[in-house]
Amino acid sequence: MASYMSMGEAHRRITDYLNRFVDVISYQDGTSLKHLLSLSSESPSFLALADALNLFQDANRLIKQADKYSQYAEIVAPLFRAMQSYRVGHLVESYQAFEKSANAFIQEFRNWESAWALEALYVVVYEIRILAEKADRELASNGKTPEKLKAAGSFLMKVFGVLAGKGPKRVGALYVTCQLFKVYFKLGTVHLCRSVIRSIETARIFDFEEFPVRDKVTYMYYTGRLEVLNENFPAADHKLSYALKHCDPQSEANIRMILKYLVPVKLSIGILPKKALLEKYTLVEYSDIVLAMKRGDLRLLRHALEEHEDRFLRSGVYLVLEKLELQVYQRLVKKIYIIQKQKDPSKAHQIKLEMIVKALKWLEMEMDLDEVECIMSILIYKNLVKGYFAHKSKVAVLSKQDPFPKLNGKPINS
Amino acid sequence: MRYYLMERWQPRRGRGRGRGSYSSSSQTQSNNFRPSNTSNHPTTRKPTPNHISSKINIKQDDNDLEDLPNLTGSCSYMCPVEERIQRERLRDLAIFERLNGNPSQSSSTLAVKKFCRTISTKDVRNVDLRPVLVLEDTLNHLLNVFGSKSQPFEVIHDFIFDRTRSIRQDLSMQGIVTGDQAIGIYERIVKFHIISQHKLQRNYVNSNPNVSPMHHLNMEQLTKTLSSLYHLYDQTRKPNPEFYSFYVLLHLGSDHQPTGESLSLWFRKLPFSVMKSKEMMFARRLLRYSRFGNYKQFLDTIDSEASGLQYYVLEPYVCDVRAFGLSCLNHGGYKLNPYPLVDVSKHLFMEESDVESFCKDCGLDTYTSEDGTKFMPAKQTSFCSPKGPRKYYPMVSERLKTLYDEAPEII
Repeated sequence: MASYMSMGEAHRRITDYLNRFVDVISYQDGTSLKHLLSLSSESPSFLALADALNLFQDANRLIKQADKYSQYAEIVAPLFRAMQSYRVGHLVESYQAFEKSANAFIQEFRNWESAWALEALYVVVYEIRILAEKADRELASNGKTPEKLKAAGSFLMKVFGVLAGKGPKRVGALYVTCQLFKVYFKLGTVHLCRSVIRSIETARIFDFEEFPVRDKVTYMYYTGRLEVLNENFPAADHKLSYALKHCDPQSEANIRMILKYLVPVKLSIGILPKKALLEKYTLVEYSDIVLAMKRGDLRLLRHALEEHEDRFLRSGVYLVLEKLELQVYQRLVKKIYIIQKQKDPSKAHQIKLEMIVKALKWLEMEMDLDEVECIMSILIYKNLVKGYFAHKSKVAVLSKQDPFPKLNGKPINS
Repeated sequence: MRYYLMERWQPRRGRGRGRGSYSSSSQTQSNNFRPSNTSNHPTTRKPTPNHISSKINIKQDDNDLEDLPNLTGSCSYMCPVEERIQRERLRDLAIFERLNGNPSQSSSTLAVKKFCRTISTKDVRNVDLRPVLVLEDTLNHLLNVFGSKSQPFEVIHDFIFDRTRSIRQDLSMQGIVTGDQAIGIYERIVKFHIISQHKLQRNYVNSNPNVSPMHHLNMEQLTKTLSSLYHLYDQTRKPNPEFYSFYVLLHLGSDHQPTGESLSLWFRKLPFSVMKSKEMMFARRLLRYSRFGNYKQFLDTIDSEASGLQYYVLEPYVCDVRAFGLSCLNHGGYKLNPYPLVDVSKHLFMEESDVESFCKDCGLDTYTSEDGTKFMPAKQTSFCSPKGPRKYYPMVSERLKTLYDEAPEII
């Protein structure tokens, strides 16, 4: 760490910060306060302050020098330590110190009656999560068990508790909830989302409409993702669509993230996205799948799943996409029907199972008559095809009316 | 004894003496049951219905392993001496622990430490815990008992169930999360649970209704052991894909969520190499067929690829899948084209005679034509899922026949 600062300058920087800190609180200037608390932004002023602290080494003495500083000692002293550790890359220490500071901050925050410091609280909450992630990376790289993010989760639950009251501070609860979601998704302990969701959705103190739009969008995005993991497609559709509708149209990255999960959901209920949409948001991994569904091309579906297997598994949509096979089969049979109709409309509704075997062979998929009969029986059972099959003559007889019912936005019943 | 609570070791009245039946461990299981601390999957929180104890102060969460004191077992016997002496005095010895059948005499080569449900971690002493090598020897001894056939199966199962749970508890209390021996121990215990599940199910079906709660508990411990095993695989990076495949196979069928966690979420955490392993690809393919409803390829794949243990795990689903297949054939068939049972048998991988029986189980009629051929008419409205204990109809498969007639070896 290069230190071109003099001791005098270091002293000045630290006292400037302390003065600012005190003023900002006495003027209840939330916007300015938040700038004083952000480590991970690594702004030039923060870096300079951290350097000053590391040079001066005895900031605590300065804090104790004046009553107006020392009243906030429990917040500022550990905050300074966090900054110092951060600056020299000791992220575990930085997290630990910051958590101490954040704890003290929450205690003060509780006493401030209005919600003036909410923005600053958001920054503290955000920093807790980010610092914890960095700390865990440091632990893992040293062969130790990462545990700080989990601790951050506990801390955030505490913050949630502070905000879950009747006063104006309660609109901050959704932001904290979303940070918790991010923590739980990262840790894989997604089941822990349940309790905080229950609090938001059933507690009488909260009115969902009161929360800031930005937070509502994030909330619906994560709860929508949970519905996707549990394959509740109507609920997933509702939530992710809400997020999409209310998302800032300029924010292409966020729209892309929502679509990443919404597209498989829509596909499952039989709604195909336009090619232009996929291209605009570079969701190319879905292009072949959509094409396979349009064409009834099983081989293409399987190939697309394999090509992007890792990506689909990681986002948790692989099983959802795999199940699209049913609709692809439906499409294939429908195509055979259409071709037959062109040749001889009166006989179109009778499809020899042999024809389906041939069509699959053309797609390089070997299946015997028994297997095709099995597939047809399933399609009929699941109402993707209306009709019956004559076992003896090995013919599928389709209903003359609406033989291939559309899903109409409903998932296939199992 | 400061921390061995008397209530766990009440000598059994009536059932215990002179009738060759099993130790009180089964009684302690059937009431106030609560998941142990040994191998709790972090995402499992569901208490067993109707069996909730209020006495537990054991750490429940796998993730809290770091919080446990650094205990290192120093007990060099399968059972700590103090415990053995006390149980001898109380005549609380399982039949397998009795020296020459004497209900108040055991020995250091016969007594095995019991599972201790109501213990607080701060009360545990090093002398009561067995180190890994001793645990390995203990498990060897138990698996010999398992193969012995000297008692009715439920008696043997009950004993091994309890004592292996104690082994897992000792491992967990020592915070043992690395080492090939620990992995080997968990893997063998998994195999025990799987083979037991198979045998318990057969017995349940064939006669004894009292066995049913046991196989629910067995399933619960199986999933816990698996989750401890996965934790070890994570730490040591030496995964055995077959053991991951069991987890997938346990999730087949829409209402089978033994751990309450969605498979999609679980898949996210697995290394890609495991996902692409032969055993996992097998399980994933079965999962795909099961979700699609493709009963024919489901059964076909089992026939050609399932290992013995995988087949044991799959057995309950085979019945469900066959029932679904029958339902599809019945539903989509043509009224004027009844199915020759021989054709149905090909779809369901069953003997023709079993098909007739199975149709009855599902509420469907069959008839015999003049020339002796048996048929099942389609479009019957009386179809229902088979209720009650599932009858076991073997899969018509040369390959599997050899695998399931003899239990796989737990080496």
